[in-house]
Amino acid sequence: MHIPDGFLDPWVAGLLWLCAGAAIGIAVRRARGELGDERTPLLGVVAAGIFAAQLLNWPIPGGTSAHFVGGAFAGILLGPSLGVLAMTAVVTIQALVFGDGGIVALGGNLFAVAVVDVWVGYAAFRGLRRVHGAGAAFVAGWAGITASALAVGVGVGLSSAFAYELGTTVSIMVGGHAVLGLVEGGITAAVYGYVADARPDLVLGRGGDSPSPEVGV
Amino acid sequence: MTAATSGSWTRRALLALLILVVLAPAFGAASGAVGYAEPLENAAERTGASDAAVPIVSGPLQDYSVPGLGAPAGTLVSAAVGTGLTLAVALGAGRLLER
Repeated sequence: MHIPDGFLDPWVAGLLWLCAGAAIGIAVRRARGELGDERTPLLGVVAAGIFAAQLLNWPIPGGTSAHFVGGAFAGILLGPSLGVLAMTAVVTIQALVFGDGGIVALGGNLFAVAVVDVWVGYAAFRGLRRVHGAGAAFVAGWAGITASALAVGVGVGLSSAFAYELGTTVSIMVGGHAVLGLVEGGITAAVYGYVADARPDLVLGRGGDSPSPEVGV
Repeated sequence: MTAATSGSWTRRALLALLILVVLAPAFGAASGAVGYAEPLENAAERTGASDAAVPIVSGPLQDYSVPGLGAPAGTLVSAAVGTGLTLAVALGAGRLLER
């Protein structure tokens, strides 16, 4: 759901840059205490895996398509700070190297995918994981992507290109991604289940709060 | 955590990355054949915003294609370059922040 240039009014784009910049700045500060011999390679691998997975577009009958976005997954596995950093790398490279998402709109795409998706997914997982781990991961994937779509829907709905039709943009974005979000939730839960089985210590928020005491909210 | 177990998960993770990269051209061809739209494009169409999308700059591998290469090969190269670059950037940023 990358926003191209031309879709956002300048003030909307600027505001989203500001919000994304603040959140990424906080993530960078907090990340300093979390990185290390185990977490740094994981940061790289998760970011690269999400970039590659986003290329796998699943065509869905009815003329739409879904691909795994991965922000919630990054938040679950890496925690919110490193999750934001991983997704920031993915979204920025998509825009600068592949023209996927605009340059002026990059702040908006960072806010939606690297901040909202990660934080909402992480919060949902954190709140529900005691009930059921994979279930919490499913809800996290779904809620993260739906909230992210809401952010994009509001952003474009407040812009002149979309004739300020906020109701239309929000309902199409949220409605569409609430359905596609079921796929996101399913993949998030499946990959989470695999990692939680194979290496539970890699999942932040399982079995205590990760190797680093500073982690957590 | 010993170095040996750490090495084994990174090796498996790199293998998984390689598999994802190799799969990319097939998925690209499949969705291209079906012709698809994301909800944002639908919203743009409904509100008359479709023509407002104007790329300001184009990336060196615009739309995951390589100038002079056909679709499957271009997608494969794009996937490999992008995945490798993301790995390098995220690892590099992580190493810098460790200090």
